[in-house]
Amino acid sequence: MSTAHSNAAKEFLKNQTYAKWHDATFWAVRTKRDNMAYGLDEWEQLREKASAIKRHTITHLDEYLDQFATKAEENGCIVHWAKDAHEFNEIVYGILKNHNVKKLVKSKSMLTEECEMNPYLEQHGIEVVETDLGERIIQLKGQAPSHIVMPAIHLNHDDVGELFEEKLGSEKGNHDPTYLTYVARLSLRNEFLTADAGMTGANFGIAETGDIVVCTNEGNADMSTSCPKLHITAIGLEKIIPNYDCLAVFQRMLCRAGTGQPTTTFTSHFRKARPTANPMHIVLVDNGRSEWIGNPEHWEALKCIRCGSCMNTCPVYRRSGGYSYSYFIPGPIGINLGMLRDPQKHSGNVSACTLCNSCQTLCPAKVNLGDQIYMWRQQLDEFGTANSQKKMMCKGMSMVYGNEGVYNLGTALAHWANLIPSPLINCGMNPWAEGHKMMKFPKETFHSLWKKGKVK
Amino acid sequence: MSNKDDILKRYRANVREKYDMPDLSDIKATTYPNPLVQFVKMTEMVGGQVIEVDSGRDINVLIKELFPDAKEIASNLPEITIATRNPDTVGRARDLNGTDVGIIRGMFGVAENACIWIPQTMKEKAVCFISENLIILLPKSQIVNNMHEAYKRIEFDNEYDGYGTFISGPSKTADIAQVLVMGAQAARSATVLLLPD
Repeated sequence: MSTAHSNAAKEFLKNQTYAKWHDATFWAVRTKRDNMAYGLDEWEQLREKASAIKRHTITHLDEYLDQFATKAEENGCIVHWAKDAHEFNEIVYGILKNHNVKKLVKSKSMLTEECEMNPYLEQHGIEVVETDLGERIIQLKGQAPSHIVMPAIHLNHDDVGELFEEKLGSEKGNHDPTYLTYVARLSLRNEFLTADAGMTGANFGIAETGDIVVCTNEGNADMSTSCPKLHITAIGLEKIIPNYDCLAVFQRMLCRAGTGQPTTTFTSHFRKARPTANPMHIVLVDNGRSEWIGNPEHWEALKCIRCGSCMNTCPVYRRSGGYSYSYFIPGPIGINLGMLRDPQKHSGNVSACTLCNSCQTLCPAKVNLGDQIYMWRQQLDEFGTANSQKKMMCKGMSMVYGNEGVYNLGTALAHWANLIPSPLINCGMNPWAEGHKMMKFPKETFHSLWKKGKVK
Repeated sequence: MSNKDDILKRYRANVREKYDMPDLSDIKATTYPNPLVQFVKMTEMVGGQVIEVDSGRDINVLIKELFPDAKEIASNLPEITIATRNPDTVGRARDLNGTDVGIIRGMFGVAENACIWIPQTMKEKAVCFISENLIILLPKSQIVNNMHEAYKRIEFDNEYDGYGTFISGPSKTADIAQVLVMGAQAARSATVLLLPD
């Protein structure tokens, strides 16, 4: 296993005050989630159903995709299929170009992050404006999201205040979140009114009706599609579910699990364009999904509904932040999706896990996140990304533990190590001593204590 | 071969074990002794306001009392006589910007989370989001327990059959340092007027 994540986390941990705030904030969100979950007697039943619906749907996706696309076309939408990120970007750009779009307002979409759509469109001369407040903040800051639901969580109100002073002309020194939110509201309002097109992601696509369902608290997906003449939706293949009965299960869980609210403020169903707009476009994106479904150990990662609860609860995410991970989605689900995407590039992240399994105990769709991380670790040697130092240590340990004589001698003599002067042992040469003190070895081993009957 | 065929072919070649659809009819969903009471409680919890309107009371007068400073009032509802703008007849959706109060109709409410089903029943749905303050008229007998019941009965409008939304309280965000602020990009306040049958 690699030290890439822990090295990256050092940067995050430099500001201890902030690191503590980050940890406590996410634990508070986790606690809110618990209150919501315990408030429903049927919560665990819902998790079972959610998992079973997703298992069924993603193993019958060809049928549901076909049904969804047929229905959406009947409704009057134009449906596109993109094999990969590049094709997706080309399709979106093509639509925008055809409509002579200069400015695009968009609501949050992890899929467009995955495809790196914004830089592509900007290179082609299109102004892209993120309209989720958190996304807008990091866009103005030139950064990537550090959490999938709370993308600007790595910034505090002073960071945002200074950013707005510079970019939006807010009052100097007024860093009150209510005021700053209002400043952003006014600025974004102008963007909504002057944009030529609006783009949304999708939380769900409904096969039976062709609906695109988008859940937001801010109402920005609705604002993005209420004024511009064109609406484009980007949706990953795995987001299709069969019908409204299934949607009810997920709608009840998504926000309770993610932010600890009983619902998002808006749960919007887009079936076709407004009467005064051009036809709505839906772009279905594969970008690896049709291959991941064939991975016997990891296909269930496709059940994820992107609520973010696995990162909120993760002791490693809470204490290391989103930027410590190499994949654009952090936390347990990001570790797994990153490995499906490119194990060579992202295997450093599998170390960012204590295998406590809090994530999979919580996951509303019962993705076996911790188990998957464990399984990825077994494959690192195949990927050529295993850490040679740790490999050697493991070999050494299996020699010691596999040989009774060596083990007994080693534990009997271990206390002599206590006499080594601390500077020699707690130094950079000993990776064990990094971040924690070397332990004191007892004079008498447990084995010997037990034999003498000193252990009761 | 088209992209669609390509993608589906690759998917079919890769998908392994197939799983059955679970039975959803046995979900023991929470219900409430008095769904209306729960609906009111949840609306307040999500930052909305609920007012029960007595029969015989003129809602136009009530709205004027609630928002005495409102200059621009938008609605296409026939019972709203104080509207200065109509989402059915505005030239462009953006002309609804600057609306102080928008008044729309909800079909039913959901007790567990204060959602109200609002199918698009106007030419420009912008009125539901662009208004500074949103008023939703809701018949008080129309409250279901939970989203399972809600999704069994949602319907789109016959004329404007392309859009519908559940709204639960005012627009909100906690994106700046996790501080909850009402009024992100859509309405800054949401008031539900519960109407007698």
